[in-house]
Amino acid sequence: MIDYSKFVLKPKEEIILQLKDVDKIFLIGCNKCFKEFKQFGEEEKECVELIKMLRENGKKVLGCADIDFLCNRIITEKIIGKRKELNQADCILVNSCGIGVQTIAELTEGTIPSKPVFTAADSIPQGGQHCLSLYDEEGIHFRCAACGQCFLGLTAGICPIVNCAKELVNGPCGGAKNGKCEIASAIGQVAGATGKDKDCAWEKIYQRLNLLSSEQRVASSETVIRDYTKPSLKTKNVITDLVREKRFEGFYGGVYPLEKKEFTSQKAIKIIPEHKQVVIPLLQHTGCPAEPLVKSGDKVFVGHKIGQSKGFISANIHSSISGKVIAVEPRSHPVCPDKILSVIIENDGKNQLSPEIKSKPALENLSPEEIREIVHEAGIVGLGGAMFPTQVKLCPPKDKKIDTFILNGAECEPYLTADERVMIEKTEDIIFGMKALMKVLNVGKGYIAIEENKPEAIAKLRAKSEENIEVVVVKTKYPQGAERMLIKRILQREVPLGGLPLDVGVVVNNVSTAVAVAEAIKTGLPLIKRVITVTGEKIKDPQNLEVKIGTSFKDLIDYCGGVIDGEMEQGTCLLKMGGPMMGIVQKDFNVPVIKGTTGILVTSPSDIEFTLLRACIKCGRCLDVCPMELNPSNLGLYAEKENWEKMHSEGVLNCIECGSCNYICPSKRSLVEVFKLAKKEICAKLVKNPQSSE
Amino acid sequence: MELKELFAKGKFVVTSEVGPPKGWQIEKTLEEAEILRGKVDAINVTDNQSSVMRFGALATCHFLKDRGFEPVFQITCRDRNRLALQSDILNAAAFGIENLLLLTGDHPLLGDHKDAKPVFDLDSVSLIHTVKKLEDGSDLAGNKLEGEPPKFCLGAVVSPCAEPLEPQLFKMEKKIKAGAEFFQTQAVYEVDKFVKFMEKVKNFGIPIMAGIVILKSVGMAKYMNENVAGVFVPDNLIEELKKDKEKTKSGQTGIEIAARLIKELKPYCQGIHLMPLGWNDKVPAILSQAGLI
Amino acid sequence: MLITQLKPKEDLLSFISGEKVFILQCYGCAEVFLPKEEINLFLEELNNSGTLIVKNIISDYLCNYEYTKLRINLWAEELKKSEKIVIFSCGIGVQVVSTILNQVSSISHQSPVTSHQIYPGCDTLYLNGFQGLTPFNFDCAQCGQCFLNYTGGICPLTSCAKSLLNGPCGGAKNGKCEVAGPAGIVMDCGWEKIYKKLETIGRLDILKEVIKLRDYSKR
Repeated sequence: MIDYSKFVLKPKEEIILQLKDVDKIFLIGCNKCFKEFKQFGEEEKECVELIKMLRENGKKVLGCADIDFLCNRIITEKIIGKRKELNQADCILVNSCGIGVQTIAELTEGTIPSKPVFTAADSIPQGGQHCLSLYDEEGIHFRCAACGQCFLGLTAGICPIVNCAKELVNGPCGGAKNGKCEIASAIGQVAGATGKDKDCAWEKIYQRLNLLSSEQRVASSETVIRDYTKPSLKTKNVITDLVREKRFEGFYGGVYPLEKKEFTSQKAIKIIPEHKQVVIPLLQHTGCPAEPLVKSGDKVFVGHKIGQSKGFISANIHSSISGKVIAVEPRSHPVCPDKILSVIIENDGKNQLSPEIKSKPALENLSPEEIREIVHEAGIVGLGGAMFPTQVKLCPPKDKKIDTFILNGAECEPYLTADERVMIEKTEDIIFGMKALMKVLNVGKGYIAIEENKPEAIAKLRAKSEENIEVVVVKTKYPQGAERMLIKRILQREVPLGGLPLDVGVVVNNVSTAVAVAEAIKTGLPLIKRVITVTGEKIKDPQNLEVKIGTSFKDLIDYCGGVIDGEMEQGTCLLKMGGPMMGIVQKDFNVPVIKGTTGILVTSPSDIEFTLLRACIKCGRCLDVCPMELNPSNLGLYAEKENWEKMHSEGVLNCIECGSCNYICPSKRSLVEVFKLAKKEICAKLVKNPQSSE
Repeated sequence: MELKELFAKGKFVVTSEVGPPKGWQIEKTLEEAEILRGKVDAINVTDNQSSVMRFGALATCHFLKDRGFEPVFQITCRDRNRLALQSDILNAAAFGIENLLLLTGDHPLLGDHKDAKPVFDLDSVSLIHTVKKLEDGSDLAGNKLEGEPPKFCLGAVVSPCAEPLEPQLFKMEKKIKAGAEFFQTQAVYEVDKFVKFMEKVKNFGIPIMAGIVILKSVGMAKYMNENVAGVFVPDNLIEELKKDKEKTKSGQTGIEIAARLIKELKPYCQGIHLMPLGWNDKVPAILSQAGLI
Repeated sequence: MLITQLKPKEDLLSFISGEKVFILQCYGCAEVFLPKEEINLFLEELNNSGTLIVKNIISDYLCNYEYTKLRINLWAEELKKSEKIVIFSCGIGVQVVSTILNQVSSISHQSPVTSHQIYPGCDTLYLNGFQGLTPFNFDCAQCGQCFLNYTGGICPLTSCAKSLLNGPCGGAKNGKCEVAGPAGIVMDCGWEKIYKKLETIGRLDILKEVIKLRDYSKR
């Protein structure tokens, strides 16, 4: 990897001269956006040398903080705040680019002890380089001077501002000799210059213009005058503020993927005709699989319990149709990589309700325990996708006082509109279910959180909501719907790392879960159907559908008109269960809809594959978007070395697998996939050897 | 008198140049100009030539004008932004300076203040455009000038022996479009190349003065071959310089070569511009050997 | 880190009106800033004005030379059918695409993508801070001779409109710089901030140190 350092150490004399009046130094080094990844445990070479030099010159170095991306003020503040040695220091010496130094200097005005800040480094001018722009081809730098009046249309795509020493915009100065710029000999002295830097930009521009049609050359013959007002202070400040506001609205990080909800957001929920067969896996929840209660040949009814929950974290499974069990065997599952024991039922088309199904007494007459038992019996799990058994959430440990209930209608995943439609069409059930859940938990205050991009749902729920239920409109930002983010946004409470919402007195449930609860009480029906969105660019007629659990994905895609241009197969179609961000890629198009299926997404496969083989360029974007404030860049580099321990200590278990880092990564590294793997490995080790837990 | 009038009359125009001193006492420079009196049509004054800080070109032009010479004020874009350039051009008008030569200028890294900020707010093309606007009665920003607009004869430069030539040609065209009225070229040693260049620019219909630099030594010739853009001294000329060291040292060979070049180039161009680089005392001899005086 | 602004519509139209146009939008840094809505409105207008939009591709990180090269092959058919390419990205994206097309066309004359005219649809503006992370109002001029030691950690180059190194110009009024931007955007006088900062940390003596000069050869 090339050394893309953004700064170099100042001459020793200059550093020592600055520090003549100070004795005790606290050193802060930036791990550099472009510095090669260091092996953990090994200190940054420059800081080691710097410390040595300072000591040789009679200075005391009290401590050294090595931080990735000093410029990231929020994270930097947290890390430095913990360093107590800083109090005893006479000054802070910063080894970073100018932004890092300024960040630290600003922090000394408030959050960290007020000490003089000195800089040990000079920034290396990179000429407005950007993201992956360190490429150069044929001596042309792909850099952008951000001049505010792009000339590239006149210069055949070679930037004269970046590539010409005099930034000439009307043609060559005539100073080039043998294609080399007149400053060729002088530029040789500038650090880091390569031979290519010396080429005459205008000769290259001319060569390329020559390949093009005359028209562009004519345009190039007009006198061009630069307008130095273009990169105006106003635009710059306005946009900087805007971007900052957006980035930190509600919670740190997050991304803004294209919503693409317009495919289905206006389409009412359709109840689809039943299919001939359903495949109902006995594992449709977090925890232990349910035990089968039926065998091949058994007759079952709608709502018939076919799987018995086993253990505290588990859930009952019910038949979604009436008919005959034709097999109980392992089948492909949309979530688990291995085949899962499933009950396969052939539809008799009679839609006969199980005699056990009876509507329950009115809500007022039900005790919290009774409601909890109904929820348990109905096999209700979190329908937002996590599939955590709801009754477990309703049994908080005695020492945890729950004071707030949040109903999650954020639906921040792009494309998906099932929850949105449920909120519009089943408003009353939502309120009913929510009241039931609040009754179980005995909480006085409930919130319904909805992203601002669903005005109709907001209006409907506002109209129906009651005194102790407040509809909160949250910004459309991914992953706004994650529990932790909602709690922070609504209650300004921080769920501790490794903790659960109940640690801060909150229970969060999905809107569709509330509907299932309402249904279980009102009609007695267990969780046998749900609303999903079948969507994506490849779907002919995207829809919001109410489907029976166990219906195959393929049948539903066919119901929506099938796929556009070609076959429903891997290679031409990318099938995901869920949304594009957290959705799980499916290889088998015949997997069944389960309780946690929020949607079926069919798109074209991405043109560039995500892989860990592509190098991290340390651009820092993932740090900027990770809502859990982790360092996905470093975690990814540890994953390359399969260093699970280090990943554990760097907090990978806190990863909520939201996919923001994957989404933003310019190198398209498959970060989330390896984080999932690491979490699995770490958990396996913890189970085997609990002492290793920190 | 504006050079363009001389061109219009069909005169073969001859100019030479002086470089201001590094210091404020300018008598010596004026003495150099005296050598040229009556022998050239105008004298160019260089503007911090080679990015080396010197006495100003504008003041030098003023002194020359006072003494009855016809100065050509050279202006580069290296040291001034568009405000300073325009105000210096207005200054020149007030001093009665009629001829301007508008150039981009060498990069400061080549000179004696390497750490200077390279300005290049405008470049040669936009500078010509700017002067044209001043002549039309407004400044570059479009504000009206008070009183009479200034009038100049606008010169520009081109490098006729550059490799590749095409970028030079398209920029030359831009300069003409922007308002250039005559061209002065980089030093020419290869007559064939120059002739070919003249063929290519015939259609532009603009007066061109071939540039002549007196060859002082073999070392200078070799240095130019290696370092100076668009200049190539052919081997036969270097051989000629090598042949008689004494003659070369006294400047005789340089004079002979220059005079011969002028004679060869004269049929193809509208004038010559001598760049004696301190050897102004050799200019009369060159011109007389070339049959121009 | 860079942000973009749509070029004046008239300028763009004068180049592409009535032609067959291939549109390329880069959403890679859209998380930073790309005027998506304005672009889409413009494209709609363009479509209604008789300009044929052969293809409108939304891609990401055009600046990544390798991906862009791969992708250009995927778009070869549509590129063949179009006359002009308009790229909505920062200047780097435009340069990369232009260079790749140029390479392709110089390698093979049968190539579908010879002599395309490329137009940037956006002007790129400089945004405070480096790439990657969310911009703050800190900025680094990458001058190559960090002056922050003398200025209490407030950069005189980026917080002073004139980038003065040796003290304020005297043009500030009530702590605000004389360069009052349009729409009431006013920047604080950097040198007043520096002075106050040095005063608080008791280091006003630094101001009396040697006269500082920019060395532009380091830039």
